[in-house]
Amino acid sequence: MTGPMRALLWCAALVLAAAVVTYPLYANGYYLALGISVLYFTILATAWAMFSGPTRYISLATVAFFGLGAYTAAVLGETMPWPVVLLAAAGVGALTAAITGLSTLRLSGIYFVIFSFGLAELIRQLVIWYEVNIHKSVGRYLFSAVTQDILYWQLLGLTAIVFLVGWQLGRSRYGLALRAIGADETAASHSGIDATRIKLGVFILSATFMAMTGAVMAPRWTYIDPAIAFNPTISFQVVIMALLGGAGSLFGPVLGVVPLVLLFEVLTATLPNHFSIVLGIIFVLIVMVLPNGVIGLFGAGRWRVPAGGSATASARKADATLLAVDGVSKSFSGLRAVEDVSFTVAPGEIVGIIGPNGSGKTTLLNTLSGALRPSSGTIRFSGTVLNGLRAYQIARLGLARTFQLVRVMPDLTVAENVAAARLFSTSSGSDATGHELLDLVGLGALHEAPASELTYIDQKRLELARALALQPRLVLLDEWLAGLNPSELETGIALIAKLRERGLTIIMVEHVMDAIRALCGHCIVMNAGSVIARGTPDDVLADPKVVAAYLGGDDA
Amino acid sequence: MLLVDIILPGLVLGGMYALIALGLTLQYGVARVMNLSYGESLVAAAFGAFSLYSGLGLSPLAALLLAVPVAMVLNWLLYRFLLERLMRRGKDRGAQEIDSILVTFGVLFVIQGAMLVAFGGQYYSYSYLSIPLTIMGSTLAVNRLVALLFAAVVGGAVYLALTRTRIGTAVRAIAVDANAARLVGIDVAALSGFAFAFGGGLVAVGGVLVSMFLTFNAAMGVVFTMKALVVVIMGGVGNVLGALVAGLLLGVVETAVARLVDPGLTLAATYALFLGVLLIRPTGLFGRAAS
Repeated sequence: MTGPMRALLWCAALVLAAAVVTYPLYANGYYLALGISVLYFTILATAWAMFSGPTRYISLATVAFFGLGAYTAAVLGETMPWPVVLLAAAGVGALTAAITGLSTLRLSGIYFVIFSFGLAELIRQLVIWYEVNIHKSVGRYLFSAVTQDILYWQLLGLTAIVFLVGWQLGRSRYGLALRAIGADETAASHSGIDATRIKLGVFILSATFMAMTGAVMAPRWTYIDPAIAFNPTISFQVVIMALLGGAGSLFGPVLGVVPLVLLFEVLTATLPNHFSIVLGIIFVLIVMVLPNGVIGLFGAGRWRVPAGGSATASARKADATLLAVDGVSKSFSGLRAVEDVSFTVAPGEIVGIIGPNGSGKTTLLNTLSGALRPSSGTIRFSGTVLNGLRAYQIARLGLARTFQLVRVMPDLTVAENVAAARLFSTSSGSDATGHELLDLVGLGALHEAPASELTYIDQKRLELARALALQPRLVLLDEWLAGLNPSELETGIALIAKLRERGLTIIMVEHVMDAIRALCGHCIVMNAGSVIARGTPDDVLADPKVVAAYLGGDDA
Repeated sequence: MLLVDIILPGLVLGGMYALIALGLTLQYGVARVMNLSYGESLVAAAFGAFSLYSGLGLSPLAALLLAVPVAMVLNWLLYRFLLERLMRRGKDRGAQEIDSILVTFGVLFVIQGAMLVAFGGQYYSYSYLSIPLTIMGSTLAVNRLVALLFAAVVGGAVYLALTRTRIGTAVRAIAVDANAARLVGIDVAALSGFAFAFGGGLVAVGGVLVSMFLTFNAAMGVVFTMKALVVVIMGGVGNVLGALVAGLLLGVVETAVARLVDPGLTLAATYALFLGVLLIRPTGLFGRAAS
């Protein structure tokens, strides 16, 4: 962009900002009311998209928080100073979101959607119950000196704050973490991201904004009852607006708010009785025709990730044993998938775990990486007991993994996939930037490609780079070499050998015996959940028990 | 007898919930559509029965013969022309679920808006077979017992159809794994549409039966959707017997709360039960272990 061009844009932005700020001075009552509608829906839709956009946890409960805020203002408005009322509304919204979130966000997304769907109705009924039985009257009058002008400016201030917070969030590591969770929650947890806490935090943040909007809007009504404050149409309108504009970006929702507020205005004037039918049809059309929103048409709006700075290197402790697995068992209601497995891994070693399909290898890896809790036994990783730790905690300690069925975060770029694993990394280990890691695994040219467009092999490479980005001391490779053609296999084996030279410790579950022979100093053979042999690859592969396990025993 | 006063109406209500949830578990478990407009279909069927009864003097049980085919055709059209496209467009199960939730959320407002235009916001009820009957010291209207009987017959027939017929087995196979079902020669698209339509037929039965003894208005669909969803999740998605037990449990709990605490808190009781089950057994009371 040329200099004069940029200056012109700045001027235009300034003029626009001035026009928005001084709007109440020249707009008459009707247009001012319209401006207020645009602003309050902008806050609600932006706050909605802040949480639901990246995580894709569709919240249908906007009006629950909005109504709580409005009700708090109605109850406290006449006795307390206004800032206290606003804070109280924010607190009530945040507290309700915390309780709702704590109970449902640990579960899969669908439960959250269902719960949020009925939440407004639940809170409305509880408020009615409280008003009828304890306050002894359902409606409340709210007389306040707040004029339309002041209301408008308050909303404008809140709008500015919501955009500022949204912008900061998008730039912060929590923004990328949130998108990683939306793309693949399991992969995100194994990259050291505490999915539950981040989802909860952003959900509370978004609900706080909604509740404050409700409190600011309350004086507009003068009379408030639960049917007004908890009108379900508001939740619905907010979702439509955010989706029309595009929930995946900060300024997307605004693009949906402006046209739809105007349209709703026309509709309520011309078709008051058919409002909800037309609303429903518009909504269905938006979902069918514009899945990515208006902003998706321009292919814009993705937040860029700040280039991942490299962490400081520190001297590795020279433990004699890096990992000690002692008597670990895992059973699934009667089926004992892993039974009394013990082994140790020394730093710098490559240990192979082999055995026929269904012998419990992946289950064992899952107990090590925190995807499953062992039923009994202890796992020690450089002195720390891993039993009971969550996947993200184990990842942060420096124990990384890849998955048998490859898991990349499809909506993120290659570079972002790697960056996601560095967000909360605290462990000490090899010190390489994301670019170096991608070069190392052979993806150097594909930084900006979306991970979903990679070939199978490249997705496996990306998974390895992501695991390495945790700066791990131990990497678990679950059949990382499976499905490669002979020349790719050669490259893959060379790559793992290079990692060992860099001082990395590796446990690999593998069926490719050439790789086991070439790489592993030590091998564990599993069958039916138990270890049946251990030793050097050549020794165990010659063991009659191992041959019997693979090819069938005497009874075969 | 307070206990009988709670248990008996609770079981009648619970039987209704189980029947309604059965339709939703077919729509969600087989056709993969989390249908948020489900309760609106139920209320629409209730209005249909009301209109036929008060306008033409047609008994609600005869109205079933009309309501069920109409509901099935409408639901099939909804699946064929809106939802199936989303199913094909969605990259994975998660994307399909979100899109179908959003579209049915829109459909909810369309149906509700149409009912508001036709009937307004006030409550409706009509009197059919409201003859008091005393059982074990507790009074119950005959219409409730007829409704329960019908629900039991329809529910039993659906259960047998799902477990004993070829087409029922194919439907269950899709519920377990749609891709694997495709591989063994099951026409997944056609059967999913059928299951969705069938679920719509079941909710119409539920709506007609409920209209015989409950007052209803155009805006109360959400509550029925919520309760059906809670029953489906408590029972385990796709689990017919689970839905039955969960439905009965919910009916009894609600009646108990309404009788002993406050009728205004029944939805809160539903939610408490829902959360309790989710926190203790996220896959439902009878659900399979997490896959």
